[in-house]
Amino acid sequence: MLALAGSAFAEQEERLVLKQLSGNPGGSLKYSLRSEPKTLNPVTATDAVSKEVIQRLNADLIHINRETQQTEPALAKSWKVSAGGRAYVLELRRGLRFSDGAPMDARDVVFSFQVYLDEKTHSPQRDLLILNGKPITVRQTGTFQVAFDLPEPYAAAERLFDGFAILPRHVLEGVWKAGKLADAWGLGSPPSQVVGMGPFRLKEYVPGERLALERNPYYWKADRNGNRLPYLAEAVFTFAGSEDMETLRFQSGETDVISRVGAKNFALLARDQAQRGYAMRALGPGLEYSFLFFNLNDVSHLSLPQVSARQRFLGRRAFREAVSRAIDRDAIARLVYLGYAAPLAGPVPAGNRAWVNGSLPKPAPSVAAARGLLAADGFSWSRDGALLDPAGARVEFSIVTSAGNADRVQMATLIQSDLKELGIDAHVVGLEFRSLLDRVLRTKDYDACLLSLASGDADPNPDINVWLSSGGTHLWNPGQQTPATPWEAEIDGLMRRQMVELRYAERKRLFDRVQAIAMRELPVTPLVSPAILVGARQGLGNFRPAAMGDHVLWNIEELNWQARPGGAGR
Amino acid sequence: MNYAARRALQAVLLVVAVSAISFALASLAPGDYFSEMRLDPRVSAETIAALRAEAGADRLLPVRYVRWAASFARGDFGVSLAYRAPVAPLLWPRMRATLLLTVVATALAWLLAIPLGVWSATQRSGWRNGLWNAAFSILLSVPELLLAILFLAFAARSGLLPAGGMTSPEFAGMGAGAKLGDIVSRLALPAAVLALGMLPVLARHVRAAMIEAMDAPFALAARAQGIPSRRLLFHHVLPAALNPLISLFGFSLGTLLSASLLIEVVMGWPGLGPFFLNAIMARDFPVVLAVIVFSTALLAAGNMAADLLLYRADPRIRFKT
Repeated sequence: MLALAGSAFAEQEERLVLKQLSGNPGGSLKYSLRSEPKTLNPVTATDAVSKEVIQRLNADLIHINRETQQTEPALAKSWKVSAGGRAYVLELRRGLRFSDGAPMDARDVVFSFQVYLDEKTHSPQRDLLILNGKPITVRQTGTFQVAFDLPEPYAAAERLFDGFAILPRHVLEGVWKAGKLADAWGLGSPPSQVVGMGPFRLKEYVPGERLALERNPYYWKADRNGNRLPYLAEAVFTFAGSEDMETLRFQSGETDVISRVGAKNFALLARDQAQRGYAMRALGPGLEYSFLFFNLNDVSHLSLPQVSARQRFLGRRAFREAVSRAIDRDAIARLVYLGYAAPLAGPVPAGNRAWVNGSLPKPAPSVAAARGLLAADGFSWSRDGALLDPAGARVEFSIVTSAGNADRVQMATLIQSDLKELGIDAHVVGLEFRSLLDRVLRTKDYDACLLSLASGDADPNPDINVWLSSGGTHLWNPGQQTPATPWEAEIDGLMRRQMVELRYAERKRLFDRVQAIAMRELPVTPLVSPAILVGARQGLGNFRPAAMGDHVLWNIEELNWQARPGGAGR
Repeated sequence: MNYAARRALQAVLLVVAVSAISFALASLAPGDYFSEMRLDPRVSAETIAALRAEAGADRLLPVRYVRWAASFARGDFGVSLAYRAPVAPLLWPRMRATLLLTVVATALAWLLAIPLGVWSATQRSGWRNGLWNAAFSILLSVPELLLAILFLAFAARSGLLPAGGMTSPEFAGMGAGAKLGDIVSRLALPAAVLALGMLPVLARHVRAAMIEAMDAPFALAARAQGIPSRRLLFHHVLPAALNPLISLFGFSLGTLLSASLLIEVVMGWPGLGPFFLNAIMARDFPVVLAVIVFSTALLAAGNMAADLLLYRADPRIRFKT
């Protein structure tokens, strides 16, 4: 073992050289997180804030470039696919070292995937490595070579590797064998024990206040001049607690970068950006989208007579289409997002350039068309203008949404107003978020729900459980034993086909069809996709915000302070 | 001694009752820590079920309470579901930050309230009385939250004081004086908001107690004997007015952990407030329960301290008990 370790250490370092890149070394970047991260353990982290920090401390084998949305080599310098997409052989970079100086080789990779696949560690990422009920297997085929065997072909399997941090076997193997890995790398861990392959390593954690990272001197990327990245000497994450506090800190100069700003705060910051020395940028829609969906669950066994009664009209396709036609998405974009949002024509946002079905017609609100659809389906109106379902009952239902999210409540209120034009009495009910999820996913005690989701990846495969009728996040009717409707059966078939199809064009054709069926049947009424709104202090070089991920720090190793007139970088 | 023991037993029973009720209410709330994970299409229902089982969330409520209470009694406050770490080391630094803020704010409020209350008690008519009443009525009616927002807006606009946090990122490299200055500059706004929030209530109590004592026959007799008014006020009337103020002081002590929670959240002070709020939102019940039990214990201790002080200060209470 020692000999192997020695040989790995002696290897010439195969750094990834970014040929277009240049910048100035040194300086510190201050960034505020909306809340405190909960852990630095990449195996067990579930919250987005923890992952935002963990990604700065770790690296993966193959990485999805957040700007191009395509995969690119990372710790693996190349890979080969064979056996009809079932076998992947990855060639690792040689001579790389973890942030504590210990060498990295194939044994660390095998160890990492053993940990992720270990049922006892309960890693939320484990499910990504299980295809059709069978796990992916990993084996070492050389000091710097690993082979992954998939139980069945999986489209874009190389995207799976993104986000799987390679763990230091020399630090964590003992902890894992003792069954304590899930508890390792908490925030209180000594910095020297938190070891990774990312551009930074842990320097200091001050509970409730901030987490400071310092430059990893062994990082494996370099710029065109051969300078080792990252340029920044330090990255400091402060915990703001709310978007408003993040805005205040950025405005007052306490932080250098801001991301995920709401439209109102964006407008506020943009007003005096020149005087305060920062620049705000609106990037257009990203991967987040908001939607309204109806309760299409079979509730006959749940003693929910009122929901069951309302499903008589909620379950009618013409009713859902009429609702969709009545909603003025442009007004939502204009009033809720001050114009920083794009109306959605389908269930995939425009920010997902590779997968959006561009042939879906743009939504045009029309109360007359909506009334026509309802009339043709047997609905009628009472003398006072109230809509009556084909059985003669008043059409009245509630829209539940997250009370803590002002944008969603406002969207629901606008929809309520639009539906009034059809004679529909919709009630907006704000619920605390977990109570809302409990209703939607467990008790099924709701009529309609307004939610927003942000896909973690542009590829449709990670979201497959949204589309499959058996999926737990098939929100309108999750966990079906057999598809409840023929169109859900058709979507199931199409999604399963695209999942194993290796040619992008064919996958795109299949997924376009899924989107078209979804827009025909409208179990989900897509609303808008908010624009990505970010800002950075002037002089921050290589700042290229992207639609995916955390938008602004994806290339933190490239960020640098440029010399400014009258002074050096920060 | 019997009195102190009886009060201590009552305090323990109060803490047990509050913990049981909080535990039951927390468990009955819809959703749990793992609910949000169900919205992640990449995580299977089986994984979520395994995580719930590992955390003991699938056990019966009484079983969970007994296990929790037993471990709490041993000084083990449980493991945070969100942080996957013992609760106690997560609590202490935040509790220190909260106590720093509330002790400073409470001391500031009392230091201002006593002289202002005493002075106003001597101004019972005329324009000074009207001014005093108007100023404190306005201050009493302005919510602390609004004050916090106004102060934050002032900090952001003027740049004179930092907005949020307890120390700056450069804190570790500072000298002792600079460190103190850094903390004071960040403490100033939340402490001022809290102190201004407490001030009108305390000053009005001091004034009322002083007026009552000043109208007592002993004070009239003392005045008739020609005792100077300053000596009369501070040496004779103020001690006689102490009883309600001691109760109020005990309450101030008891709320040291809970008085500032909302202000901490709004003003970004890294104390128990943001930690507690996040734990509630995330249904991280071991953290929520620990904060509630500690706050209740401190409230009970504050009240007990007030009772014991009254017992010592007022012979009538000693006689009755």
